[in-house]
Amino acid sequence: MDKENDILTRAARRDGMTVPDGFFDSFPELMMSKLGEHPALIAERATPKLSTWMKIRPFVYLAAMFAGIWLMLNMFTFIGNNHDDLSVDNNPIIARALSSDSFVDDYYLYDIDENEMLDDIYDMGITPEELSDSTFEFNDPSESADGAYDYSETQI
Amino acid sequence: MAKTIPAEDPELVERLRDPSQCRAAFEKVIRLYQEPLYWQIRRMVENHDDAADLLQNVFMKAWQSIDNFRGDAKLSTWLYKIAVNEAMTHLAKERKRLSMSIDDEDQHLANLIEADEHIDGDALALKLRKAIASLPEKQRLVFNMRYYDEMKYEDMSQILGTSVGALKASYHLAAKKIEQYFDEHD
Repeated sequence: MDKENDILTRAARRDGMTVPDGFFDSFPELMMSKLGEHPALIAERATPKLSTWMKIRPFVYLAAMFAGIWLMLNMFTFIGNNHDDLSVDNNPIIARALSSDSFVDDYYLYDIDENEMLDDIYDMGITPEELSDSTFEFNDPSESADGAYDYSETQI
Repeated sequence: MAKTIPAEDPELVERLRDPSQCRAAFEKVIRLYQEPLYWQIRRMVENHDDAADLLQNVFMKAWQSIDNFRGDAKLSTWLYKIAVNEAMTHLAKERKRLSMSIDDEDQHLANLIEADEHIDGDALALKLRKAIASLPEKQRLVFNMRYYDEMKYEDMSQILGTSVGALKASYHLAAKKIEQYFDEHD
């Protein structure tokens, strides 16, 4: 331990190393020339400035979303509590529309498939002869003057 | 030769945190810390050119992360940490570049000491450098910080992330190995 201390004491913290002349005098200037701008300023420039609208936009969208949900809930509640108001009796607009011949013709009768209707009639046991007595006119093609069509074999 | 660590300057730290004064304050930091940091690095890499390059890297990294320095730790501790990391990374890269094991490193460093042009001709100091170069990396760091920089164990503990007790033991072991080296190379 004494010898160890002796060596270290004798060396007196000298490491025998030197630097080129003027190294520490010129180093700060050299270093400063390499540094560039303050990192915070570079970061600030790299980050685009946000307008007021850009800042509040997420909150506006959020508010609009909640308003939409609130309106939808209110609408469903209204429909659930007031479904009587949608009946024909309580709705003069629907009643007037259904009492109009043209509305029924346009939106109801023309939607019916004629062949399906005739199938149903035959299923019910009504014959073409009976139909001819009704208010509907039924023209049998087999009885046409030119005889071009013969539906006698036709299964209706 | 101002090799000791400058005392902490709270006003300087405050100026570093102010973007308008930061640049001027940083120049002062370079002037204050260039020597202790240079010698710390130089004693590890044993070559002036490498030490000068690494010193530039240290200040460049410190500048680039100056916003992260909040003054929670000492300025000197923060700078020493960067310097130690730079030196250790350089040694690891050199080992890889020269394909040498960690055991061969002491011979490589001894060769660098022999070839060093920037010496003052002090034979005892040169022999001590070679003895220190024969120590394991961490022991060299501890020995250099304690013996040359007269750094407190508490400060070393913060820089190296090692307990004070372990640092004291490491320094004691290093001193023993140096004595042994001198015995073997009389």
